[in-house]
Parts: sequence; C-alpha cells; structure tokens
Amino acid sequence: MPVAPLPTQAPRPATAPAAPSAGRRRLRLSLSAKQAAFGIAILLPTLAVLAIFRFLPMIEAFYLSLTAYDLVHPPKFVGLANFVSLAQDPLFLKSARVSLTYVLFSVVPVLPLSLGLAVLFNRSLFIKNVLRSAVFMPVVMPAVVMAVVWTFMYQQDGVINTLLGWLGIDPIPWLRSSSSALWAVILIGIWRATPYYMVIFLAGLQAIPADYYDAAEIDGAGDWAKFWHITLPLLKPTTLLVIVMNVIVAMKVFAVPLIMTGGGPADSTRVLPLFIYQTAFEFFDMGRAAAMSVFLFVGVMLFSFIQVRMFTRGDEQR
Amino acid sequence: MNHWKISRTVSSLVAAAMLTLFTGGAATAADTPANFPKGNVTIEIWWHEYGPFTAYVKELIQAYKSVRPNVTVNPVVTSSGDINQKLTVALATGTGPDIMDQDASFYELYYAKGVLEPLNLEVFGAKSYDEVLARYTPGGLAAGTFGGKIYALPYQGNSMSLFLSNKAFEAAGLSPVKDAPRTWNDMIALGPKLKKVQGNRTVQKAFDFPYHSPRWEMQMFQPLVEQFGGKLLSDDGKTAYLNSPEAVKALTLWRDVTKATGDPKTTMNTPSNPNQDFIDGRTAMWVTGPWATSQIRQSQLKDGFTVVSYPQVDPAKPHTIVYGWMWGVNKAKPEANKIVAWDFIRFMLSKPEEWLAKAAFVQPVKGVSETPVAKSFPFFDVHMRDVATASWYIRSEFTNEIGQAVGRAIERTVYDGVDPKASLDQAQAEIDKVLKK
Repeated sequence: MPVAPLPTQAPRPATAPAAPSAGRRRLRLSLSAKQAAFGIAILLPTLAVLAIFRFLPMIEAFYLSLTAYDLVHPPKFVGLANFVSLAQDPLFLKSARVSLTYVLFSVVPVLPLSLGLAVLFNRSLFIKNVLRSAVFMPVVMPAVVMAVVWTFMYQQDGVINTLLGWLGIDPIPWLRSSSSALWAVILIGIWRATPYYMVIFLAGLQAIPADYYDAAEIDGAGDWAKFWHITLPLLKPTTLLVIVMNVIVAMKVFAVPLIMTGGGPADSTRVLPLFIYQTAFEFFDMGRAAAMSVFLFVGVMLFSFIQVRMFTRGDEQR
Repeated sequence: MNHWKISRTVSSLVAAAMLTLFTGGAATAADTPANFPKGNVTIEIWWHEYGPFTAYVKELIQAYKSVRPNVTVNPVVTSSGDINQKLTVALATGTGPDIMDQDASFYELYYAKGVLEPLNLEVFGAKSYDEVLARYTPGGLAAGTFGGKIYALPYQGNSMSLFLSNKAFEAAGLSPVKDAPRTWNDMIALGPKLKKVQGNRTVQKAFDFPYHSPRWEMQMFQPLVEQFGGKLLSDDGKTAYLNSPEAVKALTLWRDVTKATGDPKTTMNTPSNPNQDFIDGRTAMWVTGPWATSQIRQSQLKDGFTVVSYPQVDPAKPHTIVYGWMWGVNKAKPEANKIVAWDFIRFMLSKPEEWLAKAAFVQPVKGVSETPVAKSFPFFDVHMRDVATASWYIRSEFTNEIGQAVGRAIERTVYDGVDPKASLDQAQAEIDKVLKK
C-alpha cells in the first residue's frame, strides 16, 4: 500500500502573502554569515576588554611619546624631541645594550635546553611525571619569590658559592660586580624559561605522527637521523613560536633585575623596561618613558617580523 | 624627694609644657579653629609602612575621632619603595590623599609641581610662618619651607650616627668607648683590627658604606663632600657640583675607607632591611639613624652597641646629614578637607615624646631633648649632636636623578676601579643634561 510521503515543508498558502513592510523586513543571511556574526558576538566582550586595557593605553603611549609630561601638569606637545634626545643619551643606549645582551644570551641557550628536555621527557622514563613537575616548578614560582630566593643563593655565603668552594673556586660576587651581575640575572632567565618552552616543544613532539618514525626505522635510520630529518623539520613552527615568544618575554624582563639589583651595580643590569619604569615613576618624565616604550615596541615587532620571515622563507620557496 | 629628683621632675614638666606650646598642642574642642567644618568630613591619609610607625598613626587616628567626632580619617598604608610612585600617579590623576607622607627630599619636586597646600596658620594658632618656624630647631623645617611658606612638617628628622658592635670591638681587644673612631683616618686604622677574613671570604667587615640603594649611597656621600668644604648642589638647585675637587676627594676617601674596612661584594642589606649586616654581626661599625635603635635592641645584639658621632674629616669642623619624612596636604582637595587635614597633622605631631617612645622618630622640635623619653633613649645626646651639625639631604626637583648618578659613580669606582675623577665627570655630564630640562 503506498504511503503518502511526509511533508518536508509547510504547505504554501493558497494565495501569496502581501509583501512585508520595510520596517519588518528580515535580513536573510547565509549560514556562513550567521556563523561569522555569532563569532563576532562572542568575541566582542574580549575585544572590548583588550581595546580598553591594551590598545588604548598603547595608543596613549604613542601620543605621550610626542609630549613632555611630568604626570602633574598637562602633556605638552614636543614632536620628536624625546626620540632625538634618546638617540643621544648614553644611559638609554647603555640600557638598550644591556637589554639586547640579556635577550641574546637568555634566548639562545633556552632553545637547545628546552628542546633537549622535551625530547628526554617524550621518551618512556622512570617517574617521568614527577620529574616533569619538578622541572616545571620555576615556571609557577612568582617572579618576586624567585628573585628573593636567588638573591640569597648568590650571596657570598650562599649555596652557589658554597658549591664552588667545594670545587676550590673562590666566591664570585654574583650580584655585586658589574662584570658578573648581568650574567647572574641571565642565568635566572634561562632557568625560568627552559621548562616553559620545554612544555611547548613537548606538545610539538607529541603532534608528530609516529608513522614517520616507523617508516624511517624501516629504512634503517638511526636516532640522530630521525631527529635531524624528521623531528627538527616538523618542529619548525613550534621553534618559531618558542623563539618569538622567548624574545618578547626576554625584552620585557623587569621584576628580577628590579628586585635583585635595582639595575646596578653601575647600571650593568638596567634593562630597558626597568629604565622605562624609573624614567616614568622615579624621574616623572612620562613623555620620555613613553618614547622608550615605543622604541621597545618597535624593536620587538622588528625582531618578530625578521624571525617569522626567516622561518617562512623556505616554505614560500617550496 | 631629694633636690635632684624635684628639679628633674620640674624640668620634665617644663619641657612637656614647652613642647605642647611649640607644636600647637593636641586638638581639643576649645581650640577648634573658627573655620573648622561643622558637618561630617572624611579625609584620607597615606603613609609608608614601618611597623611601629603604622601602629602609632592608627592609634592617633582613633584618638582624633574622640576629639573631632565629625571627622573620619581613612588610612592607606603602602611600602616605602612604592609610595613615591603611587603618590605621584595619584596626585596626577586627582585621586591623591588629603594627607601625604613622603620623604623630605621629594617636597621640593611637589612644590615645583604645585600640588602642595601651605600650612594653615589659623589651625596652628600662629600669626606668621616665622612663628611656626621658631617652634622648631634651627633648620628643622628647611626641607618643607619654600618661598617663605611652610608646606610640610616633619615627623622624623634623623641624624646619621655611627653604631658600634661592642662584641666585635671587645673581641678585637678594643673598647667601643675609648677606641671609638672620630675621623675617617681612625676608621682606616681600625679596619685591619676589626675586619675578619677566612680564606677568600670576608666574614666580618670593620665598616661598610651602604650599597643597597642609591639613596643611602647619597646619604653617606653628601656629608663627605661637605666635610671637605664642598657641596653637591647650588642653593637654587639649578647647578650640580658632582665633580668638584671636594667631591673627588670624598669619593677617593670612600674608596680608601672601603679598601681598609669593608667588602662591598658581600652584603645582605636591602632597602627594607638596611641594617641587616650590622644586626647579624657581619659588620662591626655601621652608620644609621636613631630609628634603628629598637630594631637593633630586638636583635641578637640587644643592648650590646654604642653610638658615636658620625666620623669626620676634621672633627673641629663637623658636618653630618639629616633626612626625614614629612606630612603634607594635597592642594587639590576641597577647602574643608584641607583645614581638617592640617588639624589632624597638628594633632599627630603634638606629642614628639610619644613619637620617640613609640616609633623612635625624632621630631626636630625644640624641647624634645628635655623630655623623660629622650633622656632614657640610648645615646640620644649623640643623635642630637649630629643633628646640630647636619644639612638636610639634597632637595631638588631632580633628587632621584642626582642620587642615581652619584650612586652609579660610587659603584663605578668601588666595583670597577674607575678613577674617582673620571667617574664623577660622567655623573656630572649626566646631571647637567637633566638640569638643563
């Protein structure tokens, strides 16, 4: 017995309805447009927060960099005078040099160290989770606490000099010498950053399909060949992320030198963010501080751009 | 009661009466200024954290409520390291307190920026600023007086004197009284006797200059320059003399004293614990203020310390330093709040002997030395003697920049072996740029 098909649409009215008035006309959107609108709607609160607390202050900083502003009187427009004066200021140039040294020597060692640890923890290892947690501890420790603890460790009678003493090495005035203070601060940066980027590398390693390694093994590839020809190339996006993030974080280092050395001795650890802070809130020269911030911002952008270009050039050529 | 006891009691009463008179006395309903607001007023006071000080100010807030029930005083306590920034930003954004507490050296800057309200003479029962100035020791209000008007009142004006560890002296076969140094040459001579080195480690410094903050470095450097007959800043604050021959001599002396007595590469002192090495027995001699007395007495040193005058280049021409913290009133506040603010400041400062007893702060008010509290305070006479020969810590719109430039110069010479003249030439060049602004 034939079964009447179920209606898939509402029956059309016998007569066509009158055209809706302009006020009640409903906008017909495609599915993708609806999805986009929904996406924008849920992003809006976050964007608003970002705009108010991130972008507006940034724009304000750009404006202030063109002014003389002592925090008390209204800002006075001075054009590019702050930038010209910074270019001739040996204290600023020294601070920029200190920052670049910090970035270079804290970022470069972190790469092999964090990747090495990630490779290690990616293998089956006895009490792997306990070790992972232990290695990750520096990341969760507040910077202030860490700085205070390391200050004690660096003292003449601290744990580091005691260990060196057992090896017959004279105590090093870690934080009390302009030739060693920056290295002491860099060491902490490495110690803190390594486990963080290890986790990122670990995630990258676990995303590499095992098939590649299996195929390479069938072809007779050894551990080193597999690492060099499979792991490293496939970790390229992760490596880019690690470098860019690490450079940005290192450029902004502030709490550790502030607490441990205050920028001394003799300015040897006065990184740019610390100098910006001092210029703004100790010398009350907000315009100049804003100009330094713009310089730092442009520097970070430039670094990131160069790194992204370097890493993506090969891919584009392919 | 014998004659001595009677005369002592009488002199203490006279001193107390003088103090009450000099400081304007505690507020009472009877001495309420005519323009004192009758409605409810709420004021806010900010001060820097220091345990005994905070406890005492909170006590004063409670006491003031019973005298002025229509006034509410809201306290905000912040760390000494942060108060400068917080205050400046708050003043800039119009959210500052009615009463501010700030290091005396910053008031010049605040005055220059026009954020200070001058002292209300009616509240203090005075006809002129000179009348108020006369209540204080000579120069006692110098750091808060600008253009003939008083803008800030100190609740502490600290001398810097030399504290000796009796234990360290006795262990070296020395007497902290008879062998106490009077000159910097005496300090250099004492160095080898009090400095203890084990292998390559200095386990006890004879003396150490401070290196934990540029501010403290400046605090020690300024009197050295003045002892050589120089000064760091012109009276109008517009010219710096950081590389003058006297300043070069001062830095050379600093370096030489350090070589003989100290080891700047080892210290546990921090801005919040500047006396740590002395308290822990790592330094036999240390320059600090009377406020450190209670901290030292509570440490393992207990009463085992002696205080002598700040060492001199020439004891016949003594020069020391005084620094302190002061209360000021925010000009941007409503008139009623400003009257109440000055009234509360007067109330707070009305009992200098209590400040000494409860916070170990010395107010530079006439008559303090005669109070029973002062007489029982350890080595109070030494502190007052050093105050009598002191200049205030440099006051300039650019105090921070100058302090940092001097601190850097000292560190270049002490840590990196840079010649004192070259190091100070660099500091001078840095400050010349700042002063030209």
